[in-house]
Amino acid sequence: MSDIRIGMLSFAHMHAVSYIHFLAQMQEVAIAGIYDDDYDRGGRFAAQYNVPYFRRVEGLLEQELDGVIICSENALHAPLVLQSAGRVHGILCEKPIATTIEDGLEMIHRCRETGTKLQIAFPMRFSPPVIELKQHLDAGVLGEVYSVKSTNHGSMPGRWFVDHKLAGGGAVIDHTVHVIDLLRWFWDTEVEEVYAEVGHELLHPGLGIDDVGLLSFRLNNGVFGTLDTSWSRPPSYPTWGDVKLDVLGENGLISVDAFEQNLQVSSEGEGKTSSVNWGSSGDEGLVADFVDMIREDREPSVSGEDGQRALEVALAAYESSRRAEPVVLQ
Amino acid sequence: MKRVGIVGAGGISRTHADRWNRMPGIELVGFYDIVKDAARAAVQRSGGRVFRSMHELLDNVDYVDVCTPGTAHVEPVVKALEAGHPTVCEKPLANSLMDCARILDVAERTGTQLFVAMVVRFFPQFAKAKQVLDSGAIGAPGVIRTVRSGSYPDAVSTWRKGLAITSYYADFAQSGGVLLDLCIHDIDYQRWCFGEIERVFARGMMYAGKEPKDHALITLRFANGAVGHIEGSWSYPRGRSSTRIEIAGTGGVIEWDSRTQPPVEVALAQEDGSLASSGSSPTAPHHDPYYAELAHFVQCVEAKEPFLVSPHDGMMAVKVARAAIDSLQSEKPEIIR
Repeated sequence: MSDIRIGMLSFAHMHAVSYIHFLAQMQEVAIAGIYDDDYDRGGRFAAQYNVPYFRRVEGLLEQELDGVIICSENALHAPLVLQSAGRVHGILCEKPIATTIEDGLEMIHRCRETGTKLQIAFPMRFSPPVIELKQHLDAGVLGEVYSVKSTNHGSMPGRWFVDHKLAGGGAVIDHTVHVIDLLRWFWDTEVEEVYAEVGHELLHPGLGIDDVGLLSFRLNNGVFGTLDTSWSRPPSYPTWGDVKLDVLGENGLISVDAFEQNLQVSSEGEGKTSSVNWGSSGDEGLVADFVDMIREDREPSVSGEDGQRALEVALAAYESSRRAEPVVLQ
Repeated sequence: MKRVGIVGAGGISRTHADRWNRMPGIELVGFYDIVKDAARAAVQRSGGRVFRSMHELLDNVDYVDVCTPGTAHVEPVVKALEAGHPTVCEKPLANSLMDCARILDVAERTGTQLFVAMVVRFFPQFAKAKQVLDSGAIGAPGVIRTVRSGSYPDAVSTWRKGLAITSYYADFAQSGGVLLDLCIHDIDYQRWCFGEIERVFARGMMYAGKEPKDHALITLRFANGAVGHIEGSWSYPRGRSSTRIEIAGTGGVIEWDSRTQPPVEVALAQEDGSLASSGSSPTAPHHDPYYAELAHFVQCVEAKEPFLVSPHDGMMAVKVARAAIDSLQSEKPEIIR
């Protein structure tokens, strides 16, 4: 079996660091090179993994690639996907799929037209605690499900994440899509209606973008719930954030804290106590799944449409906040 | 496809067989046990065939996995190494230092690869703690404490009932009690983290006439001056087991406790009005520590690379555990030579 050749398009989103780490450990996978518009950043990772660095996307696309992983700024997903479509078998695109509905649709359309498989990076579907929750739900242990209370807290990431042009928004677009994707996946359902309270500069004065988001939603299957997307974890907090889900049904409650497999490390150097995760990373499963998709020439397990539905909910949350009323999704 | 044969069809063989059966490139071809019924039962639940002799097993495998009790490691391990088959040996390497020495001699003479299944090094939380320690995040080693405490391993699982192995554990002259059977994990882990052990002092119930209950508290001094503490127990109330890590250095401390809130908690109301609650801490299938240690064995054999655990490491853990038992009797610290 020949190696699957993967190109990395941009390290603007730090998830690329984790993806390349797991790619490098995989059998029969070759990292063909790194493109990054930031010379220092791209060159650093290229040197670390001993792979070529490309200043132009085209240079990397000429390397007989099987797939690319795109971790650029959100707004640049679209041009990179459009440029790669038809040149590779598969694209793994960081979430959110895009910053606008139009960009997302064009990406999906172009990939379909050119026969390139578009997968969106939703690693939480590969988190073992989340998988166990899905198994309990599939087995129906809760009976009728009433409600989901969820959080995807984070630290304020700074950089381009707080630049509306490049990110498409702040905490809401950053942290709505992971959990919404899980809920759609759990029950093969869609978000019907969303109401949101969005806070600008509530936690970070002068930030210039939303850093607090509280979404209240109803799903097509009748389940209602909330999601907290806030960047409410300060640097002194033991960890970057969380993904927590409390699913309540007629028979009881299932609580999942996807990142609750930690050592507590108190370090004088760090000046604080940190949670160091030892659980299995969803990123590892995600990247392995992407490579399998290319190798087996199958459909992506998380499609461009999945990415688009989650983006629609995030954008509807902003709209709801502007109008101060619930927004119905089509 | 590489063929694996398991020697000894007791408790741990089932754990290993389950992992071999889901490992790509591996065929579990069968079991040999001096108790034929045990081998037959193992074949029924895990597949493969019953080998009538060690000789027959050796003729039909590429790798040997020795899962007999520690008193019965030396003979099959030596035969497997003499036959040139890369071999997994369950911990402890052997129950006596004489057996350990013989195994090491044969391993060296034949050059056949021997992996001692010190599985704790492959538990993700233990491996991560070692990684954090090695990163320098907590500075230089100072004090390491680990806990491995539960109830006596007899009726934990119904399949274990009636197996000869349960009486083996209770016969401390054979099994070495918690010091040799259980604390061996922590001795090896602490030695992996902090380096060579200089002396050991132990208190415990091994000679207190309370079999099958046993409980031990070990104090270690490392060559680098650091100290270590180990609690191992078969006396905790059933259902209140505990595993812990605490590593303190000049610049910080690492802690983990198995009793913290698990990532998945299920709480269901029962018909009679009571609550059934359970917790779990799942990892990806290939991060299961038993799978990881056996996959590590295969990977190192195929790449002709040294294992994470050397036969010498296996022997040193037995040496320290034996010294701890000696310390119980001498009531003095024992020097490790």
